Amino acid sequence: MNLAVAFDWSFLTENGDELLAGLRRTLEVSAIAIAGAFFIGLVLGAARAHRVPVVSQVAAVYVEIIRNTPILVQIFFLFFGLPQIGIVLEPFTVAWVAVTIWGGAFNTENFRAGFEAVPHRFREAGFALGFGRLTTFLNVTLPIGGRIALPSSINTYISVVKNTSLMYVISYPELTTTALNINALTLQTVETFTTLAVTYLIIVWTMSASIRVVERRLALPEDAR
Amino acid sequence: MRYATFMAIPFRSTTEPPEGTGHAPERQPLDLREAVSFDPTCEVSVATTPVEAGTMVRLEGVRKSFGDNLVLDGVDLSVDPGEVLVIIGPSGSGKSTLLRCVNLLEPIQAGRILLEGEEITRKGVNVSAIRQRIGIVFQQFNLFPQLTALDNLTLAARRIRKIPRREAEARAHELLASVGLKEKAHQHPHQLSGGQQQRVAIARALMMEPHVMLFDEVTSALDPELVGEVLVVMRNLARDGMTMLIVTHEMQFAKEVGDRVVFMDGGRIVEEGPPRDVLDNPKEERTQQFLRRTQLSHTLEELTIDEEGGSE
Ligand SMILES: Nc1ncnc2c1ncn2[C@@H]1O[C@H](COP(=O)(O)OP(=O)(O)OP(=O)(O)O)[C@@H](O)[C@H]1O
Ligand SMILES: [Mg+2]
Repeated sequence: MNLAVAFDWSFLTENGDELLAGLRRTLEVSAIAIAGAFFIGLVLGAARAHRVPVVSQVAAVYVEIIRNTPILVQIFFLFFGLPQIGIVLEPFTVAWVAVTIWGGAFNTENFRAGFEAVPHRFREAGFALGFGRLTTFLNVTLPIGGRIALPSSINTYISVVKNTSLMYVISYPELTTTALNINALTLQTVETFTTLAVTYLIIVWTMSASIRVVERRLALPEDAR
Repeated sequence: MRYATFMAIPFRSTTEPPEGTGHAPERQPLDLREAVSFDPTCEVSVATTPVEAGTMVRLEGVRKSFGDNLVLDGVDLSVDPGEVLVIIGPSGSGKSTLLRCVNLLEPIQAGRILLEGEEITRKGVNVSAIRQRIGIVFQQFNLFPQLTALDNLTLAARRIRKIPRREAEARAHELLASVGLKEKAHQHPHQLSGGQQQRVAIARALMMEPHVMLFDEVTSALDPELVGEVLVVMRNLARDGMTMLIVTHEMQFAKEVGDRVVFMDGGRIVEEGPPRDVLDNPKEERTQQFLRRTQLSHTLEELTIDEEGGSE
């Protein structure tokens, strides 16, 4: 019996609305987290690369903590740990905060590496034309280093999307949680997991495809690195 | 006629054996009309020097060290408006550092540097404004790789000077034409040859309407056949009255275009004077030694590694 035959298509018609609502939440949390991770990575990555006092050290500690602990532990900390000190967060808040912080840490490293890979001579060319430190960063380091950081930061964004599925542990009804809840009632395991897998595949494929377009557009020639 | 003389010079790269060694490939006199298709109708105005300024650039007792390494050991130098000063000297003698100090890319430890009578090494100067008055071109062209030639030229003008894009681009097109790159405005640096990139870099520096231009071995990274097209641009600039400080190993160029030559060694100026004197009849032993080496006018066995260099 192959999968196509085993797949009960009524699963989709009967649970479609609920699944779409879950998908919407997944995309919502992902979008917030990707935007957040982009800004965190940009600012802290720049601070790290330029060794901005204090900010750079704080960023280093943040990156170490997030990169060296399981994201599940981070989610639990936000959801179960913080209430112990009087901070109670909604599941939705925990969901986007957790993946934003996680993605931001990885993106800080992506951008730091990108900015540090910009040959100093380009920065110097900026200074020589009369750009100051900040404007050299904005006009020279950012456009060149940002492009170098692009592929790795995109991988981080993809991981952010996939990590939203972990919100199952706090019962935030994003796509995975929704599907598993439906599964618990209907016991249609094949349908549940096939639907889940295909949906995530489509999201990630769409992301990497659009990204490849962007990358090709922005690509620096080899010898520019 | 000076122009005619210039056209007939076979530029020689330092990487090539000189005539007379027998192995040198036949070197055609470089026909510059062919190498670079300049737009003869295109008049580019370079900033003219204010009459009242006595000297354009003046260094007084400039000392610069990196840690324990004293790189400029009390350099005194002044360059008149419109003058073309050529700086030569062995590797490590501080030539690049001197230019970088003038452009405030390196701080100095003692002495002072004046630009058009204004001390630029004092505290609290507007570094950005000073640097806009001083163009610099590096050995590695350092064009912004993500931008077209045109955008490389207009970026600083638009972002720093806030010149409207149209105006900046009009000026950039003129400048690109003046360096023979009218057709290359929309190419990215990696699509251009080294000589073309370097000409874009010169045009980019000129965009800010500098009062003085610094050139640090701008032809050293180029294939020999591309050297001429860059030197022509510099020669034209000199003719237009630009004040220039040029670090180069192109001795023929130094003689043709330089008004004065300075020989540096060990962070000091050892000898200076008109090109014919310094290059053809150097008084100082170290200058003679250096010039012998660059001309390779004797056999390799006579040369030893420690012959050049050390201060004193
Ligand atoms: N950023 C730096 N940090 C430390 N030392 C430096 C730095 N830049 C230059 N130096 C040292 O200063 C000395 C002079 O260097 P400089 O580049 O000015 O010489 P140069 O005359 O331009 O030589 P070359 O012909 O090889 O370009 C050298 O001993 C060099 O090692
Ligand atoms: Mg040098």
